[in-house]
Amino acid sequence: MELTAEQRAVLEGARGPYLAQCMRWLVEWGEVMGARRLVPVTNTHVLLPVPNLMARGASPRTIEAYVGGLKEACRHRTAPGCCCTVHTLFLTMDDLDVPENDPEEVRRQKEVSDLATAAGFINTFTCAPYLVGNVPLQGEICAWTESSAVVYANSILGARTTRHGNESAMAASLVGVVPEFGVLLDENRKGTLRVEVSACLNSPTDWGALGYFAGKLAGLGIPVFHGVRRPTQDEAKQLSAALATSGGVSMCHIVGATPEAPTLAAAFHGEAPEKFVSFTDDTLRDTYASLRNHTGAEIDAVILGCPHASLQELAEYAALLKGRRVAEGVRLWVDTARGLRAYADQIGYTAVIEDAGGRILCDTCPTNMRMPARRIVTNGFKQAHYARGMVGAEVVVAQTPACVRAALAGRWLGDE
Amino acid sequence: MSETLELMARGVVKGRAAGPALVADATLSFWGEVDPVTGRVIAVGHPLEGASLKGRVLVIRSTKGSSATPMVLNLAQLEGTAPVAFVNVEVDSLAALGCIVNRIPMVTDLERDPFECIRTGDHVEVDADAGVVRVRRFAGPAAGALH
Repeated sequence: MELTAEQRAVLEGARGPYLAQCMRWLVEWGEVMGARRLVPVTNTHVLLPVPNLMARGASPRTIEAYVGGLKEACRHRTAPGCCCTVHTLFLTMDDLDVPENDPEEVRRQKEVSDLATAAGFINTFTCAPYLVGNVPLQGEICAWTESSAVVYANSILGARTTRHGNESAMAASLVGVVPEFGVLLDENRKGTLRVEVSACLNSPTDWGALGYFAGKLAGLGIPVFHGVRRPTQDEAKQLSAALATSGGVSMCHIVGATPEAPTLAAAFHGEAPEKFVSFTDDTLRDTYASLRNHTGAEIDAVILGCPHASLQELAEYAALLKGRRVAEGVRLWVDTARGLRAYADQIGYTAVIEDAGGRILCDTCPTNMRMPARRIVTNGFKQAHYARGMVGAEVVVAQTPACVRAALAGRWLGDE
Repeated sequence: MSETLELMARGVVKGRAAGPALVADATLSFWGEVDPVTGRVIAVGHPLEGASLKGRVLVIRSTKGSSATPMVLNLAQLEGTAPVAFVNVEVDSLAALGCIVNRIPMVTDLERDPFECIRTGDHVEVDADAGVVRVRRFAGPAAGALH
């Protein structure tokens, strides 16, 4: 890879050993991924989580080494001119009366988060930074973690980011460059799989089903959705999250909605697609069924807001719950960004949801926190997929009204 | 008696390592589908569900899913439960990053279909520096023996 004199100097230690290591990671990563140069980055989103229960049973030395790495990174300054955001992931900063939110871990997370603030990072406390003001522009070079947000940034906003891990996104935040490979380059934003959609998509969760189906087939490729209307923001959020759950997708094209895909031909850069599949009403039904492994009607948790609920979704949840009461023995969790909860507090959605017996969970989600549940109903395909293994729960994935009906009745009543 | 198969490959992340193979023509997200403390695959319905990655040469199509894959690999490496090498058909930027940061060798572009010529339990030596993978056939019971 060709480096500028300045980049080479950083690599050789001119700005200290830590930034030299950051540069080494980025250079080596770029070389193995086929990059020819490093390019300036103006927007990053970095995972900065203490492991909490994810590393339950790990040796103290492991935790110390891992958290020490986060702290070490935060002793440096973010690059000038780069909007750098971070988020937490595995616990909530709220004083929550559940044993999974260990106060000692919260203290440790606060320490790391405060160091990040001092380093120049902006804490968003959310997996969906685009909901709280980190909205890169079309063509902007970014370094984002959060697989769902990566797909959203590339496909909906037209920004450019490869799939980053926290090590690379942190390094990019501090040295201000990223290796230029993958979807940062025009030629790698070409569709690889045509998905002809004839199914009737009625809700964000339906779009999640489309993503869950297509992600599996696309793998690391770029699916192109044809035959669909323009999605809403919430639908695009579900599609993005599901694509990066069943697959390793960096971006998709929604013909007529993705900024660089006004036409089917544009999505494929004028070439013929490598593969073609159909998504029919039957496929839609089968995709829901493929993820449902619940038995019986009994449920104990309903989880709404994966990725974190938008303000529109909070409004919808409040409308469905107004004047009603969640059944005894069922926990209703609404997951959202801390900033959006502040709006919801002000507007009154929080009071409605809490009066109904629901709880608003910020910074994380029940699956990430490893809150125990035996039977979960959720409106998010990503949450449903991971809850099965991470929590060991049986799951039902369903559209929001059916999820809320289940919460109120205390049992799964079916989709209609 | 054992036969050794020597296959050309492309070194992605440099280094050499050897161990018993864990093989599935599947994709895997480390966050959410692997427990870094036990090193076991926790994804329900995954072909490797319940299998331990510890000390194995992981032969899969590619990683997928969460961007916390390098982070989980890091925790697994610190705990001593990580795979010792990756043989992947396609290179996900997250697996590449995780291997670089944790100094785990990775190869791709094996000259033959890895799912046809490597079986779970085979002893596999990955030399990403030279671009060679050596497979020594495991004589005992095949897949499942290592779960």
